[in-house]
This record gives sequence, structure tokens and C-alpha cells, in this order.
Amino acid sequence: MARDPKHDILFEPIPIGPKILKNRFYQVPHCIGAGSDKPGFQAAHRSIKAEGGWGGVNTEYLSIHPESDDTHRLSARLWDEGDVRNLRAMTDAVHAHDALCGVEMWYGGSHAPNMESRCTPRGPSQYASEFETMTYCKEMDLDDINMVQGYYVDAAKRARDAGFDIVYVYGAHSYLPLQFLSPYYNKRTDGYGGSLANRARFWIETLEKVKRAVGDECAIATRFAVDTLIADAGVEVERDALDFVRMADDYVDVWDVNVGDIAEWGEDAGPSRFYRQGHQLPWQRFIKQVSKKPVLGVGRFTDPEKMAEVIRSGQLDIIGAARPSIADPFLPEKINQGRADDIRTCIGCNVCISRWEIGGPPMICTQNPTAGEEYRRGWHPEKFPKAGSDDSFLVVGAGPAGSECARVLMERGYTVHLVDDQDKIGGSTNSIATLPGLGEWGYHRDYREVQLNKLLKKNKESQVALGAKKLSVDDCLEYGADKVIIATGAHWNTDGTNALTHDPVEGIDTNTPTHLTPEQVLDGSKPIGNKVLILNCDPYYMAPSLAQKLQEAGHKVTIATGVGLGHYMHFTLEAPNMHRMMHELGIEVVGDVWASKAEANRIQLYPIFGDGYRREYRGPGKLPRRENTHFDWHEFDSLVVVTGRSSDNELFTGLKARKDEWAANDIKGVYLIGDAWAPKLMADATFDGQRIAREIELEDPQHPKPYRREVAVWGSPYLPGDKFEIEYDI
Amino acid sequence: MKILVPVKQVAVLDEDFELRDDGKDVDVDFLDYELNEWDDFAWEAALQLQEQHGDVIEIVPMTVGPEEASDSLLKCLGKGGERAIRVWHESLQDSDPAVIARVIAKVAQREQADMVFAGTLASDHGYSQTGVSVAAELNWAKAAVVSKVNISPNASCIQVNRELEGGLEESIEVQCPAVLTIQLGINEPRYASLRGIKQAKAKPIEVLSHTDLGLQDSDVGIAGSRSRVRRMVMPAKGQAELIEGSVVEQAARLADIVKQLRGGV
Repeated sequence: MARDPKHDILFEPIPIGPKILKNRFYQVPHCIGAGSDKPGFQAAHRSIKAEGGWGGVNTEYLSIHPESDDTHRLSARLWDEGDVRNLRAMTDAVHAHDALCGVEMWYGGSHAPNMESRCTPRGPSQYASEFETMTYCKEMDLDDINMVQGYYVDAAKRARDAGFDIVYVYGAHSYLPLQFLSPYYNKRTDGYGGSLANRARFWIETLEKVKRAVGDECAIATRFAVDTLIADAGVEVERDALDFVRMADDYVDVWDVNVGDIAEWGEDAGPSRFYRQGHQLPWQRFIKQVSKKPVLGVGRFTDPEKMAEVIRSGQLDIIGAARPSIADPFLPEKINQGRADDIRTCIGCNVCISRWEIGGPPMICTQNPTAGEEYRRGWHPEKFPKAGSDDSFLVVGAGPAGSECARVLMERGYTVHLVDDQDKIGGSTNSIATLPGLGEWGYHRDYREVQLNKLLKKNKESQVALGAKKLSVDDCLEYGADKVIIATGAHWNTDGTNALTHDPVEGIDTNTPTHLTPEQVLDGSKPIGNKVLILNCDPYYMAPSLAQKLQEAGHKVTIATGVGLGHYMHFTLEAPNMHRMMHELGIEVVGDVWASKAEANRIQLYPIFGDGYRREYRGPGKLPRRENTHFDWHEFDSLVVVTGRSSDNELFTGLKARKDEWAANDIKGVYLIGDAWAPKLMADATFDGQRIAREIELEDPQHPKPYRREVAVWGSPYLPGDKFEIEYDI
Repeated sequence: MKILVPVKQVAVLDEDFELRDDGKDVDVDFLDYELNEWDDFAWEAALQLQEQHGDVIEIVPMTVGPEEASDSLLKCLGKGGERAIRVWHESLQDSDPAVIARVIAKVAQREQADMVFAGTLASDHGYSQTGVSVAAELNWAKAAVVSKVNISPNASCIQVNRELEGGLEESIEVQCPAVLTIQLGINEPRYASLRGIKQAKAKPIEVLSHTDLGLQDSDVGIAGSRSRVRRMVMPAKGQAELIEGSVVEQAARLADIVKQLRGGV
């Protein structure tokens, strides 16, 4: 199909400095866990987007000097020739697809803990980071300023040598240039502090020096948080930001603008739970009013109509994207081909971001399980190897794992029967997406539903059997499939079994009228009383989501939790606003407790760190500390039990128990994926489905084949001419 | 007892489509094909009766259509039944429902069928004629839009419910042999298993032409039809308008439209 003429504006080239961006699709700098140390991962992940039509792609934030070392998190680095060599792999791969390649030069100040380099960071004033624990910076004197600006210039030259087209001076997310600009950090009284002109001086001088060094060959970009969302304690768009843009405009070829800071950067990378597409436009739209240069910005833009409108209405010139480019690296090309229904729409769960927050394991994506697997597993998001046999498949369960598995098997040309007793593809997603704020998570299901229906037209022998009767072990044995893949999901524990005691809680039974599982809350099968107590031992969204749902429905909710509240939501950047919401709604949270026993309308809680701080050996069968003596009864009308999940794997174990009958029924193998294998993130369940579908020809497809590792090689010095042997300086 | 189930492979339109040059049908390039949904329910009704009563009931799917229409018969055979019948000859092209009914009636006679279960209508042309015309051809009793069937093999009557307006149902007795046209929702059609689909490929599909059934060329196709398609048309669509401008301007335009629709004041 042809491109919709309404979207032509998205494909108009635009000059940025000495370069031409071929269209308006631009992958802003974002972390993936590759940095400079996994050059294959870096090159493949970025170049797949170039192949998918993004006109510009960037590295993640890139440290310009060991003094800005973010270990335990993972940045790229341009410290030396070794980094130049490794990043060259990315620029070459991206240039092969006619896209521009950018690098985001980063100096963190006290937000960089320097745990690897052990350097002492410098900043505009001495302060303790509100983001990183225990890190202070040294207040820069004029020599320091000159030196650090020199780091930017040296790194810019290395970036140019590595083949980058766009060089950023990174001043968003509270990093160094913004620390100078913002009175929240900058308490100086010299020529670099006080007035706006003084506070802007460091940033503008740095831009000027970088432009002088590489500006003829590279476009100079700056990423600018135009409002730090703390009113006049920081930077405000209409107060300081517009004047700063006027002052710096001559030294900038393209503005990349957002809002927020690093401690709460979920205000920029807004999760769908709280923010819709284009949520930063009320701030971003001001910049084009004063700048003569192209302006780009993010806002989880996934919809071509919205993108075109944002440009047409003069709010932005270029559509910046991080998460939408991860969920669908081919988003621009799909718009170009008029295939909007094939776009894997970012669901805004921020699981990609969670990995950076955790400290830099490879990024994952709930929608796109090939993200991060391009190099190490050789997975292309849109292309699949042809089927390696005539085997036919029965996939039981159409949730995230099963539907993805069926989709990929069918893409490969296999005949697949996907069977589920629900009336809809999606499994647990169907109810999860009804939780407040999580509606967009349903895009995960929608993508697979659309694709499966298209694939069914290509292979009339394949079938998606929804609303089917639950398959028994006998049904599966007799089904006639060569291989059976079980993706039957998981359920919430009905007896309080939890991660703290690994046992049930005495008295909890969700088969009684006043105790409920999350499923029972969601399907409305049981009446729920006014006073609700949620007992939580789950580290993610279920307890706070149910609390919000019930409190908003008029119940009085208390959460008693033994594992914090929504701990993983710190990693997905949902935590700050989730906690604000809990407070605003009046939901009571009782923390660091667990339950000893429950009755129909009350539960006994104890502090998880009760008595017994002294440990001593007391002989067999004796607790080596004093037993806890602190217990409190809490009353409720209804108890919601969010204590843990267990796999629904009876079909698999039943089939496994009858392995001796497989051959007689022409079954070559039975496999287990997703939550039925072990409860996990939706992203990991989806990965399971894709992974087994791609590796199904292995002798043992249940277990993944080794992936290609990128690690230092003993015997090869990192820098040319260096040594690798153990050698002491004595 | 033998139940003949005539099924149709219906055309499904792509999102965008164009008409044939002669303007009498949609260009086949824009069509996909599948088993008519009503016929799926009719076949399921037959399958369930066979399951209830065992081998005393034989069920046979048939279709009138070219080679490709065998897909719909295979879809039926994937769920049950041991054989199928397909009737085709190029002179059957462009037959109207009366002709198709004539062919089905001939097959019913040849098979010595006791019952015919047809779909109430086909989703592509929506005539709702074929099933009841079969009854007329055979001079059998008929019940249309059937939502429930109760049969005892060898009984002279069957009990059926028919769907009426406003949620009403009519419970009637029909003399056998009879033709029933089956309504959606009468049951939940099963899915075929992979084994069923594989086995269906080995089941015989008898291919007949109209002459094998004692019909002449003049009995079928355009020659034998009592109606013909003159042309297909796309009715003109209503127009949408994006109202722009300030709130006041938008309100004024909205008021104009309302006045215009009310006939002007």
C-alpha cells in the first residue's frame, strides 16, 4: 500500500547544521546496555532502526571522560581510541542505511558515582546528588571549568573520528550544563552563577568550543530540559528556558527538548500509566517560538496522525522517539508503506528503562522481543528464517507467550493451531489492561491479534481456536500436532504462599467469601466489602493497581506489604507518581510487615524485622534468635491476596507423565513457555514465545541455545600497543 | 438416516476493493474465500446429531463450486463425516440461487437423503433463498431460521425452534423428510484438530457435473436462472467535515449545519 499523503510531511528532509536529516523520524539517545563495550550489540540495535527508516539514530548517553563514570549503570564512553574503534562499528552500520548517526556527550557531575574510575566529579557548586547515593562533587574553579570544557572538545573530536554526524552537548536530565543553568544546583556568585547570563555561560561556552572544533563536519545538538518541574527553584520554560534558547541558538544546529530531571526522569520518559502521547508538548511547543533552528522532542509518539499534526502545527520539527523506536524499529517504514496496522505500538510499560535503572543488563522490550537480541541472537524484528521442517504445532494458551510463539512460527511458514478457552487473544493481558492506567498495555495483545489474523489468511491449515473447550492431556495427545507448546500461564496463589516464608499463610483461602485473588477482583465474581486489606508480597504493579481501582470505586483500602510497594516500579519510573497517587487517594500503606494468620474478617500482622536482633546457636529445631513478640490484628471486610503466583502447568506435567505415549501419537516434543514455565514479566514471557519459535529445530528447543557473547578477550590488549599480562608498578 | 449439508465457500471483501470491468461483481483480486458462517453452524448441528445417535446418522457435506471450493468441504471433513460431494461444471457459472437449489435437490435425491441442513443465508450475497428453494424443488417440508433441532432417527416428525422477531421463538413440528435452514448461535461450532485436518485430506470428495445429476446445460447457469445480476454499485457516501476556527466560529458553523439539516429557517 502507498503512504497516506497526510503523512508526507513526516518524510520531508530537513537540514541540521552541515547535515541533512532525510526525514522527521529521529531516535533520540537512549540506553540499551551496549555502550562502547558491546560494539556488536550497539551497531546492530541502532542500524536495525536505520534499516527501518529512522533518519537519525543516536548512541545512549556517552561519557566524555573517566570523571563521568556511571557504573553501576551503563553508558557509552568515548574516553580513548579503543572506544573510537568500537563505536565505529555503529556509525558504519547506520551509514549503510543512509541515516545520520549521533552521539550524546555526557558529564554527570555528582550524579555520576564514578564507582569504576574512582574519580572525583566536578560541578558548579558542591552538593550531594539527589539521584545517586553518597556522591558529592567538587565545586569547579575557573581552571576546572576550562579543563572540563576541554573534555567535551576532545570527546567531540573522537566522535567525529568515529564517524558521528551529530554531536550533543547533553544538558537534559540534570547533567552538567543544566546544573550550571539551574539555581537548584548552581549557588555560585562568580561569572558562572547568579544571573541567567552567568548561569548560561558554561553551557554556551562549551557549545561554542565544540562547534569551533567539529562544527564544520558535525551538526551540534543540545538536549535541554526546558522545565525542571520544580517551579522557580529550577528552570522554567517561560522564565529561563526561552532566554537561554535565544542566547545559545547560534551555537546549536538542532534542539532536543524535554522536561524534568534525572531523579524523576519518568516525567520525560512518561509511563503510559500516567502519561499519554505528546505529554511534554505543553512545554516543548514554546521553543520553536524563539529558535531559528530545528526543534525535536520525544513524547512516546506512536501514531502517525499525531506526529504529522505536531509538525504541521509548528510545535516540533522532528519527531524524537526512544521507546516507540524500540517497540518497532520499522515504525517509519511502516508509515511510509501505509501499513499503520502493522506497527508494534509501544505500550509505555517502561520495562526497557527498568534495565538501565537496575544497572545496565541488556535492554528488553515487552512488545518487541527482538530488541537487544539483534546481534547476539541474530534476530531481525521483521524477518524470520523459513520453516525447517513440515512439523505442525499445537500451541495451548494465547497469552503473551503463546500468541507470540504462534505468530513467529506462522511467520516462519509452519502450520499452527493456537487454542485458548478465552474468547480473545491476550491471556492475562485482557484483564491486566482493565486495571486503571494500564489500558495501553492492551496494544501488546492487539498487535498479535492483527498479525495472527493476517497470517491465518496465508495458511488455511493454521487456526486460532478461541473460546475453545479447555484441552485435556488426552486432547493434546490426540490432537495430531507434531509438537505441542504449552503456554497456559499462571495464577495468583490462593493460600497466601509468598516469597518471604515460601509457605501459605495460615487461614488464607480465596475459596472463602471474604478472601479474594486478584483474578477474582478483576472478574467481579465475588462481592467486595467496604474495608479492603491487600496483603502484598509482589514487587510489581498488582497491589498498587488493585488499591487504586478499589479506592476509586469507593472502598477503604489498606495495603500491608512485606516487600515494599511496587518496588520494580522504581525501575520503570512509575514509582514517584504511584506513591503520590496512593497518598492523594488516601490509601494506607503498612510497610515491612507480614502475616502470621488470617481469619474471615481479620489478619494478624508482624514486623518482618521484629525481635531477635542478636543471633546465637541454640541447637537443632531452635530459631537462632529470639522469637518475634509483636503482633497486631487488622480487621477487614475483604482480603485481597497478592502474595505470589504459581504456574498453570498441569497440562505440561500431565503430558510429560505420559511421554511413553508420545511416539504412538506422532508427537515429537512437548515444550513449556511463559508464565507456565515460571511466572515472569510479560516481556520475558513474550521473549519465550519468540525464542522457542525461532529455535524449534534444535534437538532440545526447550532450552535456549548459547548466544554470541561480547566480552574482553584474554591475550588481546584493549588499546593497540598495550599489554594484557599481569604487571605491577613496583 | 442421512443428512445432506450443502455449504458455500463465500467471498470475503478486502478492506479496499474494486469492481470487475463488467460491473457485475467484485474483482476477484480483492476477494478472499472462506466457509459461510451459517453453514459452519449447520454442519455442527449435523455433527452433534451424529454424536448423539451414532452411526444410524450419516452426514455428508456438499458444495456447488470449482476446485477451490473443496477447501470448505475439507474444513467440514476435518471435524467429521467420511466423504463429501462437489458439483461443478463451467456452465454452472453465474447460476442464481434457484439453480443452485435445483442442483442440491438432485444430489439429495441421488443420495436418498432424509434431511437437508442448509445455512439460513450466505454472508456474501445474502439471498436467503437456496435452502428454502431446495425444499420447493424436492417438495419437502421446510423450516427456516432454525435455532434448535430435536430429532429421533426414524421418527416421522422432528421438533425444531424457529427464531422470530423480538426474541420470540416458535416451536414447531416438521414432517420428514425436511429441509432446515440453520441460524447462527444454534450451537458453538467446534474447531478441527490438526489430526482431523490431516485425515480430511484422505477422505473422498466425489466430483459430479450437472449432467451426472440429469440436468441439461439449459437448466443451469444464466440459461437456467430466473434472475441475473445487472450491476453492482457503491452507494454515494455521506461527507464528513472538520469544523475549524475559533470556538465562536465553530459554534456558528455548527448552527448553520443544524439549520441546513432542519430545512433552513
